[in-house]
Amino acid sequence: MPTVVLMDSSLSMTRPVSQEGSEEFQRKNLAVHGLTMLFEHMATNYKLEFTSLVAFSSLWELMVPFTRDYNTLQEALSNLEDYDKTCLESALHGVSNIVQQEWGSTCPCQLQSTDAMDNLEQLIGLNGGEGQIFTMEGPLCLKSVQSMFGKLIDQAYTPFYAVLHCGNLASDVQVFPRPEPVLVDEEVDPIPKAVQTDLEIVGFIEIADISSPPVLSRHLVLPIAVNKEVDEVGAGTTEDAEEEPSANQMAGKSPNFCVLLHGSLKVEGMVALVQLGPEWYGMLYSQADSKKKSNLMMSLFEPGPEPLPWLGKISQLGPISDAAENPYGEDDSKSPFPLQPKNKRSYAQNVTVWIKANGLQTDVQKILRNARKLPEKTQTFYKELNRLRKAALAFGFWELLKGVAELLERECTLLPDSAHPDAAFQLSHAAQQLKLASTGDSQYSAFNHNITPLHTDFSGGGAGDRM
Amino acid sequence: IMMFSVSHKTAFVVDHCPYMAESSRQMVECDMLTKSRGQGVIPLAPVSKSLWTCAVECSMEYCRILYDVYPTRKLVHYIVSDSEFHSLNSWRQEDQSTQELMAALASVGPPNPREDPECCSVLHGLVAAVESLCAITQYQHEARRTLMDVADRVANRGRIICLTNAKSDTHVRMLEDCVSETIQEQNKLAAGSDRLMPIQRCELVLVHIYPQGDDTLVSDRSRKELSSVLSSEVHSVRAGRHLASKLNILVQQHFDLASTTITNIPMKSFLCVSVTLKEEQHANTSANYDVELLHHRDAHLEFIKSGDLHMAGSTSRDSGLKETVTLKWCTPRTNNVELHYCTGAYRISPVDVNSRPSSCLTNFLLNGRSVLLEQPRKSGSKVISHMLSSHGGEIFLHVLNSTRSTLEDPPSISEGCGGRVTDYRITDFGEFMRENRLTPFSEGVLDASGRTSSERAKAQLERHTRYWPMIISQTTIFNMQAVVPLANLIVKESLSEEDVLTCQKTVFNLVDMERKNDPLPISTVGSRGKGPKRDEQYRIMWNELETLVKAHVGSSERHQRVLECISACRSKPPEEEERKKRGRKREDKEDKAEKNGKDADEKAWPDSERLKGPQEREKEEQTESEMIKDSPDSPEPLNKKPRLMSEEIQPPQKSKGPVSLLTMWTNRITATSRKHEVFAGRLNSVNNKAELYQHLKEDNGMDLHENGKATR
Repeated sequence: MPTVVLMDSSLSMTRPVSQEGSEEFQRKNLAVHGLTMLFEHMATNYKLEFTSLVAFSSLWELMVPFTRDYNTLQEALSNLEDYDKTCLESALHGVSNIVQQEWGSTCPCQLQSTDAMDNLEQLIGLNGGEGQIFTMEGPLCLKSVQSMFGKLIDQAYTPFYAVLHCGNLASDVQVFPRPEPVLVDEEVDPIPKAVQTDLEIVGFIEIADISSPPVLSRHLVLPIAVNKEVDEVGAGTTEDAEEEPSANQMAGKSPNFCVLLHGSLKVEGMVALVQLGPEWYGMLYSQADSKKKSNLMMSLFEPGPEPLPWLGKISQLGPISDAAENPYGEDDSKSPFPLQPKNKRSYAQNVTVWIKANGLQTDVQKILRNARKLPEKTQTFYKELNRLRKAALAFGFWELLKGVAELLERECTLLPDSAHPDAAFQLSHAAQQLKLASTGDSQYSAFNHNITPLHTDFSGGGAGDRM
Repeated sequence: IMMFSVSHKTAFVVDHCPYMAESSRQMVECDMLTKSRGQGVIPLAPVSKSLWTCAVECSMEYCRILYDVYPTRKLVHYIVSDSEFHSLNSWRQEDQSTQELMAALASVGPPNPREDPECCSVLHGLVAAVESLCAITQYQHEARRTLMDVADRVANRGRIICLTNAKSDTHVRMLEDCVSETIQEQNKLAAGSDRLMPIQRCELVLVHIYPQGDDTLVSDRSRKELSSVLSSEVHSVRAGRHLASKLNILVQQHFDLASTTITNIPMKSFLCVSVTLKEEQHANTSANYDVELLHHRDAHLEFIKSGDLHMAGSTSRDSGLKETVTLKWCTPRTNNVELHYCTGAYRISPVDVNSRPSSCLTNFLLNGRSVLLEQPRKSGSKVISHMLSSHGGEIFLHVLNSTRSTLEDPPSISEGCGGRVTDYRITDFGEFMRENRLTPFSEGVLDASGRTSSERAKAQLERHTRYWPMIISQTTIFNMQAVVPLANLIVKESLSEEDVLTCQKTVFNLVDMERKNDPLPISTVGSRGKGPKRDEQYRIMWNELETLVKAHVGSSERHQRVLECISACRSKPPEEEERKKRGRKREDKEDKAEKNGKDADEKAWPDSERLKGPQEREKEEQTESEMIKDSPDSPEPLNKKPRLMSEEIQPPQKSKGPVSLLTMWTNRITATSRKHEVFAGRLNSVNNKAELYQHLKEDNGMDLHENGKATR
């Protein structure tokens, strides 16, 4: 979640802060002090976060576009000038523009540094309660600024560390951006679910089988060194690099399970199914960057026992060795996925819909077309006839049954002399059966009853028919 | 997000009284072919649907769309009302299908015009619907059971859709009052019952259907709260297509649906060529078709948020009530194994399910092809925003992320921890992953210790990783073809007598190798000269094998027997000498080994490995990397499935025609023995230089590389 820092640079921010005995601060200085603290934290522990700096008064200006370069942000912060009065509304419009241009509608994490707090609560209300206001406790001074920004960092920018397990193989990892808790059902299950810090691999699935599943969010899974201090972990190539080249190299040189897993997932074209908590799952896979770089990524599925219909319930997925025979086949030619649902969807089962006139017309025409090709098309003729019969009975459309019966009788009279004698028998038989069905007589109008071809002395003719 | 909103339960009440047998007066010409035949043939008079037929087919269409988009958890109870009520199904999930409802409707038949109208009323059905809403569905039951003490969090809401022909506004009011009173009564009853739930919220949707050409006797009325529990709305609609489009709008409103129209579908080139050509000859239509789909409206969330909805080609139709977003078909790529970043997938239902373009598109998708969809944007630029794809006979509209990723330009994995190591056992771990692939088992299958299938999968992972060195230079036994049978069997939860025998044979085979003084694939780097002597090599190998088997010795008595076999057969140097050696090395390397050793100790590396300092390993790695391509830095291309590659190296006869027994045998050996054999060249090398093509001189040119990983 990218961060926008919206800095109030109106004149009111230059008001002095009364302090006993020491040099005088402006409110602005306090804000800069706090933000410096935030930027330093992010540069160390959250360095992949994109942050942008917007200054506003009655107008707004994008000082630094979204970047991971915290030096630039820091520099821009110290060069801020003072303008006229606070006007939050136009600034928010500006932020909205910047954010949408860059990220689409992902929700930004907004940070305010202003002295006018009046309308902020309303704003959060407008945002569906998503957001939080941090205020200073106690007098305006460096100490309370520090504690306020400390709280903010704890709440929003604490890195997420976890251990990735695959049986006895394991690796300490940072998951970035940190996964946020998810609310499943506000009524039945009102407590947000959080990703647990032990990520357990359940098993493996082919990419073609998992097949572009919908995910809540994506995260980098970055292996971290086991023996190092937590604080040191994120430390980039800044100053530490020169001081401890050996330590960094050591971390690179000792085998890490993430790298092994990543390499094999990439080569095999597979994903690892990972359990994130009770009834919550995700997948690990190799994600290639455009520039030949690749990474271990984790996507989170919607919480629940069955996040993907085509996999079924995750708790019912077991090892292939438990199956009587390998469901993937000896030569990997088959797959147990996707799971087929119990009922077919309407578009997969040749349903009958007569809402539009041409739906009905097409169905009647199909019958007539086949009627003229009797006895060759006997099977198709009766199949179409029975489909129409079923629908007409269900819709209580007996008039149609009578109408089609009449049509068939007429076809019978129109048969050319050259016609096969069986054609006339089948047509009048079908017409009679439809008429009987249209009386509602339970013997003939049963839904599951099918009209079958009349057995005639000529009925060998139907045998060569193809459906 | 609510699991039990009003849309969890929908009760359809369809009027089956004699007046519903009246004609809708919408005529359907079904004798189309006759016209072309011309002279002498008297065409059949057009048929007309009754009000009942109109009501039934439109309600079925409502259910069809509902079941396509929500196959579970959204339930319909279909009730028909005349002199009494007829319940055509129940809330049970098994009863939720249009097939079932059609069969039940057929047995009810059309209304009987001769029935006494005085006895008949839609009220019987409305009362039954209210009673039915108090009944607990299986989903509510399960939720209440799991919540136990807070079971009251499970809500009970529902909707009644009543299709009738009302006499007047007063008549409508009477129906509403009746529903309201029945709810009060039933709620009292339900409060004292464990098997019923009071209704917290009920939406009554009254649809008055009247024949074409008549004036309506009932006025439209938007939603009004009749009580704290009940709201009601009245729609007065002409039978026929007006009713159809009304119910189409209602199903969209009731279930948060939205419409997408797929445009530019190249029917001719991609879908059903023969059928299309035939159609075109008849109708002379153009080659591009549009297909309208319904799905959950969240598939348009990105458009709504970005304000691009109107620009995305959305068009208002049918008096502005219904909107559709137009997305353009993009010619599908052949490569289907790509993992797209997809933020949502929503089931679809075609609006015109059996129209030709619609069924062509759905069949194309059901056959396993995917289609990317392009969204026209404000700026005029185009972007792939969605994908249509089927999974197991269900078609989903996938929402693809089309904005800049917040994760762009991350550090490569090779820059992080473990990134510089180059001899990971990538191929072996790939094999491990294949063995640990998942497959679905039937519901409620628990093993003897009460574990679910996925718990058994995790247990298997645990067993398979008890001893699993991550890099090639850390292991000897996993680089040896001869160990494979034992290594594959020992990780099993239980062994058969035959398995034990196979393991023992493996051990005997190793003993034999040692007796013949066969070389072992032990890393020669790190030690001066030619590396450890042969007997030392075998000691290292036996130690590692023992470590592997010891990790499984607790599994069963038969596992124990395998270990006993090893202990009995393995070579042992004099105890004294070993202790001396160990002591000396420990002094030198203990610190470094400790530093590296948190994991190493747990997994009990073979002694030789534990004793090696990190620096030694480093050196090994450098040398290894020159020989082994099996590193993450030089992986095969992602989109090329490795199994295709393994097929490549197999003889071409494999897939076509009959194969000889020899070929089958060779294939089988190749398929099962992808383990590291022996780096023959390296083993026989002098100062890391090996003679090439030495086997040319041999009579039996059995190429060891053939089965080894070197060829992959």
